Amino acid sequence: MSNELLKINNLSAKVEDKEILKGINLEIKKGEIHVIMGPNGAGKSTLASILMSHPNYEITDGEIIYQGEIINNLSPDEKAKKGIFLSFQYPEEVPGLTVESFLRAAKSSVSNEQVRLMEFKKNLKEKMDLLKIGEDYAKRYLNVGFSGGEKKKNEILQMAMLEPTLSILDETDSGLDVDAVKIVSQGVKMLANNSNAFIIITHHKKILDYIKPDFVHVLIDGKIIKTSDASLADEIEIKGYEWLKI
Amino acid sequence: MEKRNKTYVEDVNRGVYDIKNEVRYSYKSDKGLTPEIIKAISKEKNEPKWMTDFRLKSLEVYHKLDLPPWGPDLSELNMEDIVTYIRPDTKMNTSWDEVPEDIKKTFDSLGIPEAERAALAGVGAQYDSEVVYHSIREELTAQGVIYTDIETAIKEYEDIVKEYFMTCVPPKDHKFAALHGAVWSGGSFVYVPEGVNVDIPLQSYFRLNAPGAGQFEHTLIIVEKGASLHFIEGCSAPIHSVINIHAGCVELFVKEDASLRYSTIENWSRNMYNLNTKRAIVEKNGTIEWVSGSFGSKVSMLYPMSILRGERAKAEFTGITFAGKGQHLDTGTKVIHAAPHTSSNINTKSISKDGGIAIYRGAVKISKNANHSKSTVTCESLMLDSKSKSDTIPVIDIMNDKVDLGHEAKIGRISEEAIFYLMSRGISEEEAKAMIVRGFVEPITKELPLEYAVEMNNLINLELEGTIG
Amino acid sequence: MSKEVLITKNDTKSLKLNKLPVITWRWLKVNEFNLKDFKLENIPAYNKNSINSHPVDEIEVNIIDNSVEYLEIEKYFNSLDNVGVSQEFTKMADSMYNCGIQIIASKNKKVSEPVFLRYSTDNKNPMIVDQNLIIAEENSTITVIIDYTSDDSTPGFHNGMTKIYAKDGAIVNLIKLQTMNDTSLNLDANIAYIGHGAKVNNVSLELGSDKSVVSYINNLEKDTAESNLDSIYLVDNSRLIDMNYLMNHFGRRTISNINTYGALKDKSKKTFKGTLDFKRGSSLSKGSEEEYAILLDKDVKSDAIPLLLCEEEDVEGLHAASAGRIDENKLFYLMSRGFSEREAKKLIIESYFRPIIDKIPLSQLRKKVENHIENRLLKI
Repeated sequence: MSNELLKINNLSAKVEDKEILKGINLEIKKGEIHVIMGPNGAGKSTLASILMSHPNYEITDGEIIYQGEIINNLSPDEKAKKGIFLSFQYPEEVPGLTVESFLRAAKSSVSNEQVRLMEFKKNLKEKMDLLKIGEDYAKRYLNVGFSGGEKKKNEILQMAMLEPTLSILDETDSGLDVDAVKIVSQGVKMLANNSNAFIIITHHKKILDYIKPDFVHVLIDGKIIKTSDASLADEIEIKGYEWLKI
Repeated sequence: MEKRNKTYVEDVNRGVYDIKNEVRYSYKSDKGLTPEIIKAISKEKNEPKWMTDFRLKSLEVYHKLDLPPWGPDLSELNMEDIVTYIRPDTKMNTSWDEVPEDIKKTFDSLGIPEAERAALAGVGAQYDSEVVYHSIREELTAQGVIYTDIETAIKEYEDIVKEYFMTCVPPKDHKFAALHGAVWSGGSFVYVPEGVNVDIPLQSYFRLNAPGAGQFEHTLIIVEKGASLHFIEGCSAPIHSVINIHAGCVELFVKEDASLRYSTIENWSRNMYNLNTKRAIVEKNGTIEWVSGSFGSKVSMLYPMSILRGERAKAEFTGITFAGKGQHLDTGTKVIHAAPHTSSNINTKSISKDGGIAIYRGAVKISKNANHSKSTVTCESLMLDSKSKSDTIPVIDIMNDKVDLGHEAKIGRISEEAIFYLMSRGISEEEAKAMIVRGFVEPITKELPLEYAVEMNNLINLELEGTIG
Repeated sequence: MSKEVLITKNDTKSLKLNKLPVITWRWLKVNEFNLKDFKLENIPAYNKNSINSHPVDEIEVNIIDNSVEYLEIEKYFNSLDNVGVSQEFTKMADSMYNCGIQIIASKNKKVSEPVFLRYSTDNKNPMIVDQNLIIAEENSTITVIIDYTSDDSTPGFHNGMTKIYAKDGAIVNLIKLQTMNDTSLNLDANIAYIGHGAKVNNVSLELGSDKSVVSYINNLEKDTAESNLDSIYLVDNSRLIDMNYLMNHFGRRTISNINTYGALKDKSKKTFKGTLDFKRGSSLSKGSEEEYAILLDKDVKSDAIPLLLCEEEDVEGLHAASAGRIDENKLFYLMSRGFSEREAKKLIIESYFRPIIDKIPLSQLRKKVENHIENRLLKI
């Protein structure tokens, strides 16, 4: 069986008539961790949104192949069911919907079977303990009144519960203190194995102190202009992005 | 040529609520409103003279008053076409076994006897114009709690009824209060003596089966000093192609240190004009809590009012209104702060879809002597499409400087981003929207007893079915 | 001047002003403002120059003569019932005005120096019935200040209509200041057409008159039109004010904001009616409205009716109204620093008014407003 998980061919995309992605190529195999770095406005979050089929973004060219299938036109829920997960940079607040009932509905939908309540609660409790999330969060409304750090941890909790094959972390580390970055990283490490993969979008190096990526890509002006190993991140930390621009 | 009035009725399949029975009755008044009809109803009910006179006086007032110039269009409502009194072919029973089979089946399918066994301390069930069943747990009777149909109350507790009846909502208040005064029939009477706490709720259920008829039940509740009660009111009717009218009246007297919670789910069919008047007078340190869900009817005008007459009296209002196709639901609440240190807290949500019109209409009045009063009002409206309409019409009237008042209203749609977020977790678009709507009304569902919260969620699902996605 | 349209005492029953766009319960008495015992037999001439200053050669400023074509804005007057403070008074300002100015900013002309108009009553000119027209051609910017005041203690009467026609891309700033004496009657109506990407900013400072009835109707006709209405009021003794603000959202992506702060003293009375109306088709529009009333005495009466009307799903509307006394803690803090209670209250109220006072671009006018407020708040 092929190890290939995701292949992006010459992907271009726009939002409100503005071309943001201009021919992205990327290959991801199972067991890999990829980091995408780049300055503000380069198109990093657009790429994440496109991979999850955000309704405001439109693919103008190219294709996204996931496990051998072109998934350009799948809806977000169909993608989730195929094992794709996006950790949002700005998670939405949904008043009146508790974290617990939301996650149970999501888990049932993604795993295509009604999740048993007791089993689910046990699983949730375990994951919450690992991520150092207080038990009362399960009963709180989804992201309502959560601090920035709590929202991000909640994203990782969702990832841990839904056990996706391809996880995309969009700036999950931004705005977090050192302890929270550690917890998020632990979450990734805990989940990473030979049958899944991660795309970590960031513009800080901090998270890379805890997670060793296999590849680091630099995205500037809608294109991936350089790909290398983890050392590239160190170089960017020192020299910035200017030297990479043509 | 005579103009033909045909009522256009919009409806969804409402399952058990729509089960219709053949109309069987032992007495039915003529259509329309004349002193003769009123006298006949009073005679049929074997009433004391003061009540007959009260009815006739109310009828006079009715003819003098005009229709409200504001709010929904009521021109289609013609009282000449309405039968105001239909006595079902049974007496008042204290055992379900004695209730005629078809009527019993109706209440069975609405889950009333089941709820009675599971979660209620007493039940009243009205069918068309008369109460057909009433019961109360013995231990409550032993503590002096009275829960009976109002006709029985007039006979057995005449002095109490006479003292309170339509003093909170006088017939001259508005046209439909006057109408109610003239043709009222059925309803419940509750008396909770001083210091008695009724822990388990009482429930009255009102079912209007006959087409082209009116239901005018009167609910009179007196909660004496230091006592407490939770009362639940349920209403429904099957769909008909002619107009029905519901002009009930609820009068609540909450005495010193007493508390009353009054929960309602109104689920009338969409040929119904629901013009109901509800009002509470709250004495010193007393509390009234309203929980109100308005789903059905073609037109609703419903604004439960709290008169905070005693110092430190409190009112809470939690309401949800869901207007779908062909519905014009004009709902809200009124609070009069008439004593110092009184407080009110109003929280309403409305949803409109498929051309439905949901209006919040409210008033908070703080009188001259009501110093140190507090009021907070929060109204939120959700529009599910651009065929619908949603207005917020609040009035805040302050006549004193020592107040603390805040009012907030919001209107909007379901956020696209929130839908995307939920969908990215594998939830379908339809379910994501339903989840957000359920979340929107959650602060209200959680105020309801479990059975009713489930019923309300079912009603929401019913309303959302086929319109989302 | 035709006699039949003037108002006599016999008509008084019909003088219902500033009608609420959607009416409600009658017992609350907020559906309209009832003007009692009003009569008017004729309108004497107004013989003063009302143009106080204007940027020479930049903008055309003339006595009103109705020679200009402005059809887009005239359509609002097809039914006189829905514009101005009432049908009678709109008609009066429309056809029997005794003064008024028309101002035209030509295309692409951006002028920051304000046009300053001043209308004042005195014993020889007791009535101001003005009609003003402000036309901002495409992409022009213009600022107009209108000051309504009294030069002596003669009971004055003002009834006016100011029309703003902001064509595509234009910006109109209109600042209105009203400090007429305490025996005057002020009826002031404003209506605006706001074109594509155009913006109308109204600033209203209502400080004088025995009775003041003010109406603003801003029509956000075209996509991305914007309008801000910032106002303050101060009423004392038994004076009263009735404000009726209406933002009509027609275009897509239109934005409106209403911000009103006021203080009520003695036995004064205020009614605030603020309406955001999202018409069908005004998708992606936003409106917000905030009103805060500071209640200074036990005999004041304060009514607020903030309406939200909505026929469009994809909009955001928000309104908030609040009322209360001055924050006791703030008061205590200031008094602990040596201010008397009255001074401390004045400071706090001024702090609420400050952002709006600062929108007046002329320093002498700002000073005048500050003095006026100070006098009203500090007098016994």
